[in-house]
Amino acid sequence: MQIHHIVRFCKQKCVFTGLLFLVLFGQLSAQNRSVGQVDVDETALYAMTKQMSQFFSRFNNEEDQFGKKRFPSDADYRNQETRKERLPLLFDQENPRTTGTLRDFFIEDLTTSDKSFLKFTGGRWFAEVSASFMHKGKEVQIILILMIEKENLGSKWVLSNVYYPAFNKMFPAGELIDREKHFLHPMSHELDFMNIYKAFQTPEVIEYYASKAFKADYLTLFFYEVKQGNLRFKSVDNLKFHIFQIDNWYFEVRWFNRSGNNTGWLISNLMYAPENEKDNLLMFYQP
Amino acid sequence: MRKINLILALMIGLIATVNLQAQDDLSAERKQAIDSLALEKVRDLSKYISIIGSKSTPWSEANRVIDRAEELFMLDAEIGVSSLARPEIDYYKVRQYFERLMRLNYDRVEIDWFKIEYVSDLQRQPDGTYVGVITIFQKFKAYDKEGGLVYEDTTKKDITIYVKRKETQIGGRIIGFWDVLLGDMRVKETSK
Repeated sequence: MQIHHIVRFCKQKCVFTGLLFLVLFGQLSAQNRSVGQVDVDETALYAMTKQMSQFFSRFNNEEDQFGKKRFPSDADYRNQETRKERLPLLFDQENPRTTGTLRDFFIEDLTTSDKSFLKFTGGRWFAEVSASFMHKGKEVQIILILMIEKENLGSKWVLSNVYYPAFNKMFPAGELIDREKHFLHPMSHELDFMNIYKAFQTPEVIEYYASKAFKADYLTLFFYEVKQGNLRFKSVDNLKFHIFQIDNWYFEVRWFNRSGNNTGWLISNLMYAPENEKDNLLMFYQP
Repeated sequence: MRKINLILALMIGLIATVNLQAQDDLSAERKQAIDSLALEKVRDLSKYISIIGSKSTPWSEANRVIDRAEELFMLDAEIGVSSLARPEIDYYKVRQYFERLMRLNYDRVEIDWFKIEYVSDLQRQPDGTYVGVITIFQKFKAYDKEGGLVYEDTTKKDITIYVKRKETQIGGRIIGFWDVLLGDMRVKETSK
């Protein structure tokens, strides 16, 4: 990176620190008030990103610091100057991964493009739900991936993939040398496939007898196990979001329940991900 | 009385006639009016929770208020509760949740509401019904016989709101209006 870029970012950081102080302790500290018998400071609640809906609005700079919606006709709607000042508040400020130069580059990218706004029904964002299930009497953790899908007059969350290590273990990649030992020779048909029994003698590698285009569909396996009554839902344990909507970037958002003014739904991981490399990443979320 | 007038004004503002299909898309102004109506319902809910939880509310009055509170919700709505000490979600039917609140075994409780309310954007579900979430915060304190504070928490309440286009006939004319009902509510303890 060029030196003058670094200097420019450092300067912006200083300006931001000042602004952050003003936003949080200047304007918002006025939110001290009395509720019933108790003197309550609401600053932290205003600062908290309370819903993912608010995360989207703050990310796009479509609301003021008190959560009041701005409309496209308002002068400040999606204003890139104020957006640049407020975006750092949406990052986990206790994590070096989300407070360094990469974050500054990301913000610079966001605020110099007209296409860098999140859209609820814009696709390429996923919910990751960690859930507990009972599998044949034993408690197990399964990750469910969900995405928003448009349907009829609106949209809904749908399951797009599932991650359960026991399913993955069923289909190990396997060594090429092993795979080459398992096949049906090309003239098997002339013998009425009398040799096909060999495929079923080694059920642990039965998939070696499938086409090279075969890919295990874990969601189908999951549905099968649920329908068989082998997998029973117990509880939702954790939730986070993976967002790929912004060109050349990927970030993760999760809930921070802690004291202070940097809480709620915040960016917990950020990666530069060129568009031509995103397809591989997306395969996990939407195979 | 002022509140009734406000609700009436909002309802009249939301009522519109003819061409229901064309009015299914909400303008920014109509969304604001719906947000206000939904917030009114949530404020009613807050008020009812304070009355039901108060130890000075007579049993019969608390039951009457539970009926009113229940009417705010859709029939199959549930309330999911978790705390810092117990992150698993316990599910309650709406009535069951209020009855538990009424029976809390403390000598005195204080239920206060923070002024802050956050209303999400409304999104449409496949059947055309709009759905949103309103977030409010509650401070709860419980005292024993000697007046000592024995329990306190601050909870975040995320309340689903459903906004549905309905119609009625008045004087031979079909009148369309937007109705707001509360759905599932998630109650989560925030960091102390």
